[in-house]
Amino acid sequence: MQSSAKKTRLHLGANSLNPKGLYWIWFMIPALAFYVVFMAYPMLESLRLSFFTGNYGNRVFVGFSNFIKLFSDSDHSERFFNAFKNTAIFFAVHMLVQNVLGIVFAVLLTNTHMRGRKIYQTIIFVPTTFAVLVTGYLWKLLLSPVWSKPFLTGMGLGALAKPWLGMESTALLFVSLVSCWQWIGIPTMMFVAALRNISEDIYEAAYIDGATGWQVFWGIKLPLLKPIIGMITILTFVNNFNAFDIVFAMENVNGAPGYSTDLIGTLFYRLGIAGQHPIGIPDPGMGAAVSTLIFIMLAIVSILILRRTETKG
Amino acid sequence: MHAGSHAVLILWSAIVIFPLYIMVINSFKDRLSIYKDTFNLPKIWHISNYTDVLSSGDFMRYFLNSFIAVIVSLALVVILGTLASYALAQWRGRWSTFLHFFFMAGMMLPIKIASIKLLEIIRILGLLNSVWALIPIYVAMGLPIAVFVLTEFIRQIPKDLLEAALIDGCGRLGILKKIVAPLLRPAIATVAIYNLIPFWNDLWFPLIFISDEKSKTLLLGVTRLFGQYQTDWSKVLAVLTLSSLPVLTLYLLFSKHFIKGMTSGAIKG
Amino acid sequence: MKNRMLIVLLVVLLAVTPLLGACQQSALKPEQPEKAETPEKPAEPEKPQKEKVELTMGSWRADDVAQMNNLIAAYKAVAPDVNITFQPTNPPDYNATLRLQLDSDTGPDLMYARSYATGQELFNAGFFADCTDIPGLMDNFTASNLAPWQMPDGKMFAVPFAAVSHAVYYNKDIFAAQGLSVPATWDEFIEVCQTLKDNGITPLANGVADEWDILECFFLGMLPNYVGGADQRVLYEKGDKKLNDENFVNAYTDIAEVAPFLPDGFEAVTYNDSQVLFNTQAAAMFMDGSWTLGVYADADFDWGVFAIPARSAADTAVTFHPDMAITMNTKTAHPEEAKAFLAWLCTKEGATTASENLPVGFFPMINFEIQLEDVHANEFLALNLGKQTDARFVWPALMDLYSPMNQAVIGVLKGTMTPQQAADSVAALLP
Repeated sequence: MQSSAKKTRLHLGANSLNPKGLYWIWFMIPALAFYVVFMAYPMLESLRLSFFTGNYGNRVFVGFSNFIKLFSDSDHSERFFNAFKNTAIFFAVHMLVQNVLGIVFAVLLTNTHMRGRKIYQTIIFVPTTFAVLVTGYLWKLLLSPVWSKPFLTGMGLGALAKPWLGMESTALLFVSLVSCWQWIGIPTMMFVAALRNISEDIYEAAYIDGATGWQVFWGIKLPLLKPIIGMITILTFVNNFNAFDIVFAMENVNGAPGYSTDLIGTLFYRLGIAGQHPIGIPDPGMGAAVSTLIFIMLAIVSILILRRTETKG
Repeated sequence: MHAGSHAVLILWSAIVIFPLYIMVINSFKDRLSIYKDTFNLPKIWHISNYTDVLSSGDFMRYFLNSFIAVIVSLALVVILGTLASYALAQWRGRWSTFLHFFFMAGMMLPIKIASIKLLEIIRILGLLNSVWALIPIYVAMGLPIAVFVLTEFIRQIPKDLLEAALIDGCGRLGILKKIVAPLLRPAIATVAIYNLIPFWNDLWFPLIFISDEKSKTLLLGVTRLFGQYQTDWSKVLAVLTLSSLPVLTLYLLFSKHFIKGMTSGAIKG
Repeated sequence: MKNRMLIVLLVVLLAVTPLLGACQQSALKPEQPEKAETPEKPAEPEKPQKEKVELTMGSWRADDVAQMNNLIAAYKAVAPDVNITFQPTNPPDYNATLRLQLDSDTGPDLMYARSYATGQELFNAGFFADCTDIPGLMDNFTASNLAPWQMPDGKMFAVPFAAVSHAVYYNKDIFAAQGLSVPATWDEFIEVCQTLKDNGITPLANGVADEWDILECFFLGMLPNYVGGADQRVLYEKGDKKLNDENFVNAYTDIAEVAPFLPDGFEAVTYNDSQVLFNTQAAAMFMDGSWTLGVYADADFDWGVFAIPARSAADTAVTFHPDMAITMNTKTAHPEEAKAFLAWLCTKEGATTASENLPVGFFPMINFEIQLEDVHANEFLALNLGKQTDARFVWPALMDLYSPMNQAVIGVLKGTMTPQQAADSVAALLP
């Protein structure tokens, strides 16, 4: 069958099992058209900018000097590595919270004997429907001691009314947690879907064989969730390294306090698009250099993760 | 029974609901009492925050604009994404691997960097200041995730199922329609939801493409009010509440189908 | 299944049809419910009378929609055929969106221009028109008011519109109750703070969460007290004086002194929080700009402003900062009409109308005698009398130091830097 397929070339509606590319390409043309015109082409065009300096009108080719500047010029490299480190922490918090809480919620929610599951499910997903700006503003308000102090003191918890978003030691953590609060619904749902995939019989059988709840979790459920964790990792990774809005809403584009919440996304925005507020003379070349580096890194990591989950599958 | 489980879930539910409660009750207070007494119900319910906000913009128009942009984009993402993924999943070869990664690459870059070129393209197409400017961009933004998720799902469909159909004389499109698409429903739901949120909540592209009052999207119309009322948190909260209501209502109305779609056992061979 | 596919396809078809067809003018074309200012609009499309010209105006003053619409409506009496639409962007987005729109030829016809380097850069890039020959511009403004929007070769890239001032807002009721009087020197100021604090009142409303306000309103507001006016500033710009000299170290030392008098958790107090703290009488004083005047219009207590005191009363100076100017796009389709509007702003009539419609706390920069109505606004202006005034220190030539100086100020307030370290960290950036 394989060999006969190999001979088939352009055969629209052919019944052979493995028609070649020219056949399949027809399915892809509409998607490719949108994707190339409105994404790939403008994006490549922008990446090309990383070899230029100056703004529209007086753009000069400078080769790799933007990249060199990013790593060696002390001003730029300090900001870049700082943003990189912050983004890594931001990502780590997401991975920890989303996977642990997501799995816990999913396991609880797939317990068919428990009542109120649908209500809980609905609630867990609610924050996901909000604009990041809304989430950010709201939590900024709640976390401000100006607001919360009278209330917390009233409950005898005055010590909790700290400027969490104003201290360099805690700001990033709280921004990350708020972001998790918003997005936890998505991994939870994905885990729930995966757990539903196995029929109850398997669990029942395991229980009858004398397995404990923990054994069922470690032996049956967790392995099943592994590919989902892979997918969530890629999505979270990509989203986190492009994250911008949450810091924009909760702190500012400079990643206050003291650049402690400056993510790659905010750094890129300042360098390439807006310029440092409020003086703002952007340097699209530097911005493009940052995103080129991030792109290369994301691509490598994503491919590695994909390879791993694929070979396992 | 399940006391522990309930405790965990109720605690989390409280963490979710409490901020929303604060948002709503304070949006009915006046500018200063919000600071004096944040966590209690308002003594006097000020509806004026809402009437002021609503009268300062054409919110029905904003809503309609957002709705059109999002629905059309989603429909296109799902249809085009399914077609492309079907092809990518079935066609195994060097070129398909390349195209797969080509699509995936789109997830890895902040599309904002392409803004200048995109603005140029949109201008050439004569779509500036129109909600139609947003659609092709959203479609392009949504396709990578659609292709990523859908291809994974289609690859999991047992080959025998498709081969059997082929032997029965179904065409490729027939198989897609009759066998693959129904199986893909949960995955399509995932893709739709995953994209719905960024599309609906996107501020950047409306901001740079649309300055005309009658083409503004909801979030764009609403954010100007952040600036205008920045010293008045009760109005800001009214704005926040208003801007979240449409999606929230949609979600609550359809949450049953929606959660079912997302979580119903993906593929049971 | 089939039905659903059909519906989806229909939606897509519906969606794409206008895309292919006549979509130039947004697909939705309902009967524009315009504001009441243009009652004669509907029907009668092509009359031989003069064509209506539509101009757009970009701005970062999203707060001023109502005021600017009044100003524009007043301009209708001068030029009935020109309709200007005010399209503000939120301040943090203005630079970014304006640049993108200019880069791609979709910028507004008229727009607000930032002063000094940021504005010069857009002029050099060819986006801001040369305004030098606009009638009245060179004659009706003083050289120092023109300077912020002037190229080194003397060309003007915008028409000055408004300036802002900086001072200490104080709650007269609290001051009276505590038996306090307006401090004339920095030491007296610290004493006042101490008394207030001892009596359980937060002395100052300022915070550092938003970063810009502690620098622009507070530190740059007090800086002329330490370094002197424009003539001294130039010495720093040229490198004749160092940014870590005694004057600067003193300034950092003094601002560090107020840390205990800021609200609890000032690290997370935002600019808006500060305003509310002052407005709710939770704090007795607030270092802020004149643009906030209107916010306290309906405050239920008596308040006033005083100049930020210097170490010795005689040195007290005021930061009076040229803030906004309006310019036109070189690529506008209606250069004549845009220019006419700018020229109008340079006339006595235009400037008066403009200042009447400017929000309280923005001061006209033109030479004509213009009477302001607001009591507090006049109180603010009176602070300038007999004192040196200057723009915010870094604006004219040292804008690159904005962020480092901002971090230095926050550093001394949080106690992570000594005043000397703070001054050194900024000075080190200049050769």
